[in-house]
Amino acid sequence: MQERQLIGFACAYTPLVLLQAARFTPYRILPIGEAPDRAGSILHDNLCPHVKRILDRALADDLPELAGVVFMNSCDAMRRLHDGWGAARPRDRRILLDLPMEAGEAAVDYFASELKRLGRTLGEWGGAALGESAVAASAECYGKLYGLLEEASRLAARGKLDGGSAKLQELFNLSVTRPPQEASSVLEQAISEAPSASGGLDGRVPILIFGNVMPDPQAFSLFEECGVRVVCDDLCTASRMHAPATLPAGENYLQALARSILSRPRCARMLDPATPGALAKDVARRARESGARGVIAHVVKFCDPYLGRMPAVRDELRSTGFALLVLEGDCTMRSLEQHRTRIEAFVEMLR
Amino acid sequence: VRGTKTTVLVNYFDELAAGLGEKIRQAKDGEVARRRFALEIARLGRRLFSGEDKVAWCGVLAPFDLLNAMGVTSCFVEFVGAILASSGNVAALLEEAEHAGYSTDGCSYHRAVIGAALRGLMPRPDFLVATSAPCTGGVGLLENLARHFRKKIFLLTLPQSNGERGAAYLAAQIEKMVEFVSAQTGRQLDPERLRRAIEYTNEARALMAEAYELARAVPSPVRSRDLKNFGVVMALFLGTEAAVEISRTYRDEFAMRCERARHNPPPPRLRLLWIQNRIQFKSPLVSLLEREYDADVITDELNAITWEPLDPDDPYTSLARRMLSIPFLGPIEHRIEELKKLAKSYRVDGAINPCHWGCRQGTGARGLVEAGLKEIGVPVLNLEVDCVDPRNFSEGQLRTRLEAFIEMIGQSRRN
Repeated sequence: MQERQLIGFACAYTPLVLLQAARFTPYRILPIGEAPDRAGSILHDNLCPHVKRILDRALADDLPELAGVVFMNSCDAMRRLHDGWGAARPRDRRILLDLPMEAGEAAVDYFASELKRLGRTLGEWGGAALGESAVAASAECYGKLYGLLEEASRLAARGKLDGGSAKLQELFNLSVTRPPQEASSVLEQAISEAPSASGGLDGRVPILIFGNVMPDPQAFSLFEECGVRVVCDDLCTASRMHAPATLPAGENYLQALARSILSRPRCARMLDPATPGALAKDVARRARESGARGVIAHVVKFCDPYLGRMPAVRDELRSTGFALLVLEGDCTMRSLEQHRTRIEAFVEMLR
Repeated sequence: VRGTKTTVLVNYFDELAAGLGEKIRQAKDGEVARRRFALEIARLGRRLFSGEDKVAWCGVLAPFDLLNAMGVTSCFVEFVGAILASSGNVAALLEEAEHAGYSTDGCSYHRAVIGAALRGLMPRPDFLVATSAPCTGGVGLLENLARHFRKKIFLLTLPQSNGERGAAYLAAQIEKMVEFVSAQTGRQLDPERLRRAIEYTNEARALMAEAYELARAVPSPVRSRDLKNFGVVMALFLGTEAAVEISRTYRDEFAMRCERARHNPPPPRLRLLWIQNRIQFKSPLVSLLEREYDADVITDELNAITWEPLDPDDPYTSLARRMLSIPFLGPIEHRIEELKKLAKSYRVDGAINPCHWGCRQGTGARGLVEAGLKEIGVPVLNLEVDCVDPRNFSEGQLRTRLEAFIEMIGQSRRN
């Protein structure tokens, strides 16, 4: 079977269901690889390394053939990535989609109209016309993938996934760079090979990893080497990449999709006006529910949404009795390796 | 009065206002526009800190004329950061925020405000209004302030496009905001008061446009400090008589200077465009430009009028359209086009871009802004500077770069 064309994307809020329904394969351009550091010639060096490393890949042509790139207007850095992409690869087709910051009805309506605009654009890029049945089929396909990733995450948290949390991250990366059906098959295989006996904690300390971008499986190997058992994650390159999209009968499918995307576990760029500081409460709740003994926050440098919320997260975790270790990184293992001693000390403190 | 610390600030603004009023009365040369503008800032400061008014801390793009019409003294929080920097007392507040865990890589306007709030120097507002643009960092700041003050926050999400769909979405949110403000203040919006506010806004807009038209003259009547922070702060006075009076004073003063120059032409000077924020603390850069390099900043990006007069019969939609006309939304092409228009219409020789550390939205695309202006022959000097935090200000380094830049544009002008 002929492989579908790829559509590049960079933000976890990208509506993968629509890309797949239009008969493209979503391809997340992850900030990994060895592309030379050149993004500063287009954007300022004070932009987040996630965005700069993706632009480095574009400048180095370290990408597969893409039919187009979908950018989300999710934060200043992502908007600038859209702009920088135009300079780096002016012939690429690209679209910048608005993403409301909250999930009220007006926001859902507006975002649904943005999804409609995306659907038209995908058609212009050679995609299939979008209809309710195609979108429902795609949502089901991603729903299955989401369920499998959840299962794999549970196994990894109990020490039963062969390869541990590094393997889990490989699977997360696969789920956004390969067709969802293929990723599901690989996941089914990995899950079926899981030993029936629980690995237990093996002396490791249960930790919630929270933050934004950390796609390199080696990062998780490092955590495990330091004595961490990742029992839950809240990262935009891991569990936050997928959320189930339910399309209830009687509701416009784009509305339903918009609602599900806006209501998924939040990135720090979202604001719940009814609950200022909601992100911090979410982190504490997830730590409690997952049985974590502490929280490691990994935030890429210059990420305003996360850096601005870290004091609130620290306050909330302190008041709920969870220890917190904050690591700033630049999406490279080099930066994370520098924190090895701190991670080891943090784990030691929690034993 | 809300507390001893804020009382000190009220006294400061009272003294400032009294001093400025006296200077305006004594001015014999008719040059009072900047002081009149500063006087209104002092009055606003007093209202914000006195505890006598309903107060809202807001995002930069909130519809202040609407809030003024509802009897709410409102202000974008970055204004406080700028005031603190210009007062010379910002370093301790930045440190306060940093000790509380706010990163030095973030925007120092925002850190200064958080530091002030933590020290009890920010008055407790009645409510907050966040705007999703121009920057995501600003939303985080307002969320943190809402948490700190335990006050309700309303969010206005600005879409990137000024088309029908985007304007309708934002207009509906503005209408909801009016309900929210009424619920917080117990005050209903009086349609007549709104109509009058819109008339004031439109009158001020027309006068500002006249002042800017005069500013485009060669030689320009504008000196580098005349319009510092003007457009962005004037937004706070829109919908009031004060906005009309300030705009008229500027228009008249520029007209007077143009007339003087017609009779007694001054020697030619370099004409500069300032991109985004001015440096808010005391620094010698502008003096250097004026005195040593015969150069004036005659226009600021943030002063541009990008919006049409408001429609009193459709206020929410026209307010939405104004908010969405700001070139900081959406793709950078829009902003670059606006900068090109400014540079051409003011016939500038060069542009200065103080790349405010911590500003992703403004500074982030500096390479693209530079390339865009280069297309029309306008060189850009990108300075590595923090517009609020004076602690790392490197005068010598900046002086060298400024000197080289001015030399370069002077030479290309001679050629």
